[in-house]
Amino acid sequence: MNPAQIEIQLIAIVVAVACALPGVFLVLRRMALMSDAISHAILLGIVLAFFVVKDLASPLLVIAAALTGVLTVSLVELLNKTKLVKEDAAIGLVFPVLFSMGVILISRFAGDVHLDTDAVLLGELAFAPFNRFEPFGYDIGPITLYVMAGILLLNLLFIIIFYKELKVATFDPGLAASIGLSPAIIHYALMSLVSVTAVGAFDAVGSILVVALMIAPPAAAYLMTNDLKWMIIISAVIGILSAVTGYWCAHIFDVSIAGSMATMTGVFFLLSFFLAPKRGMLSIWQRRSRQKWEFAIKMLVVHLSHHENLPEAKDESRIDHLQRHFEWNKDFAERVVRRAEKSESIITVGDIMELTDKGRQLAGESVVK
Amino acid sequence: MNDRNLESKDLSIEVADLTVAYGDKPVLWDIDLNVPKGILMAIVGPNGAGKTTMIKSILGLVKPAAGRVLILGKPYHKQRHLIGYVPQRGSVDWDFPTSVLDVVMMGRYGALGWVKRPGKKERDMALEALDKVGMKKFSDRQISQLSGGQQQRVFLARALVQEAEVYFMDEPFQGVDAITERAIITLLRELREAGKTVVVVHHDLQTVPEYFDWVTLINVRRIASGPVDEVFTDENLKTAYGGRVAFISHRKQEANEHVDIGEDRE
Repeated sequence: MNPAQIEIQLIAIVVAVACALPGVFLVLRRMALMSDAISHAILLGIVLAFFVVKDLASPLLVIAAALTGVLTVSLVELLNKTKLVKEDAAIGLVFPVLFSMGVILISRFAGDVHLDTDAVLLGELAFAPFNRFEPFGYDIGPITLYVMAGILLLNLLFIIIFYKELKVATFDPGLAASIGLSPAIIHYALMSLVSVTAVGAFDAVGSILVVALMIAPPAAAYLMTNDLKWMIIISAVIGILSAVTGYWCAHIFDVSIAGSMATMTGVFFLLSFFLAPKRGMLSIWQRRSRQKWEFAIKMLVVHLSHHENLPEAKDESRIDHLQRHFEWNKDFAERVVRRAEKSESIITVGDIMELTDKGRQLAGESVVK
Repeated sequence: MNDRNLESKDLSIEVADLTVAYGDKPVLWDIDLNVPKGILMAIVGPNGAGKTTMIKSILGLVKPAAGRVLILGKPYHKQRHLIGYVPQRGSVDWDFPTSVLDVVMMGRYGALGWVKRPGKKERDMALEALDKVGMKKFSDRQISQLSGGQQQRVFLARALVQEAEVYFMDEPFQGVDAITERAIITLLRELREAGKTVVVVHHDLQTVPEYFDWVTLINVRRIASGPVDEVFTDENLKTAYGGRVAFISHRKQEANEHVDIGEDRE
């Protein structure tokens, strides 16, 4: 690996983790779409600030973007409060207005600077190492890396310091408000962080892919754990994995790094969706199938114990009788009998089934429940 | 007896001229309310009468258009540490990734204030409260695996660790089984014996005389407030529930039934 490759991967990792951290709370607050709105709307803030300071690297751009992000959230809430527009529609109405104002301003007044719409939407990580951070003439790496590391640190500190407040304001805003831990303050602080993160990541991965990095890793982590701390850690790890694998996929197939990273977040989400313990699809299918067989065996032993030692027992205990009694088809009935035999609940003599002690016990327990 | 001639020093909650409106629609209209210390009070009224809104505006969660609220003689924001709140069970996301113990510890967050973290003391308090509501063995359980009654017990345990003087509970009996209902009412009585004031939004008129010693009937306006045997009358119930014809027929019957029961016992 050459130094540029290492730098690009480092930036990718830092961006991914910085996005995943506030993303966890967006997902838990069911505000995933808000990241989409914010990441687009901040363009207006960036453009306006750029007109004032004429410098793309100025920290004022970050502040302006953060303010636009908060403005977006406020406008959405304002519109939603009128009760004339539902929240999702309000989001869909607000951010395109702000975003398109940004796009129009760029196309009219800033045609000659590096602030074109392509870069806004997709970003270009490959160019990130060209902008160097050179305090006192020493080159200590790309500017983007330092900006994003700063944002990552900010996010990390915010979550560590206000962990308790974030948790209660997200889980039970009513309680939070009643005990004086204002959920509104937490809400706007979080939205400001999302905005700052989006504007930082924007340069590297563009506004659309910011959304993927913010939402997919937490959504995947949500399926894998029941503990908020672990959800945050797993989100960060998935972010890192997506960054590194995404980079190398882009390298191998010669495609956009940011696009490739976002694709990998999707791949990791799908992996979690199917394979997550307990909540993944595979485990749900397994559980359902197991329950189906367990229940069938229970029905069988209860049926047998019901007629045991009675005159009709011989008739009721024949395997070919089951189809009539349970509306099971022949194949299913036979498989239930095999499984019941295997679990030592019954033994079969010819085509007559007999309960074992274990089977009798299971029948007893099943009926009591 | 009427709540209006109670003296201020004996009151846990004083509400004067409370008006809450959503837009131009008044939800609560000029409510006056005096709640003495150490009682178990039900707030009853038909759907949309403003019961939840009343609790929320007393707690400062909803901004009133007019009115004054005092808790133990002082405005709410100065008395937060003396107040316990149990929101409706359905108001939170029970799929949130956290454990029973963790939810109960949230009851201590107010006392801890900003930034400070819960420690061993909070943990022990939470475990003790869980023991009281019969949920200690569930302390490490994920909240998503709880039944409705268990969720309500967890919320109650959380209120207990708040160590409040005045409790507000929004429909704690909603959708719980008979055993949990018993457990909850026992607990509420214990709180009352300990001198706490407990205000409960309640739906089941049937159980009002048995469970509570004080009742407030509202329907946007205050209908009546006072001791159950004086205020929980057929006439007041008619005033509170009147007008909603489809709704009233069986409710009125219910109300009549247990007004009778109440008289029998006297």
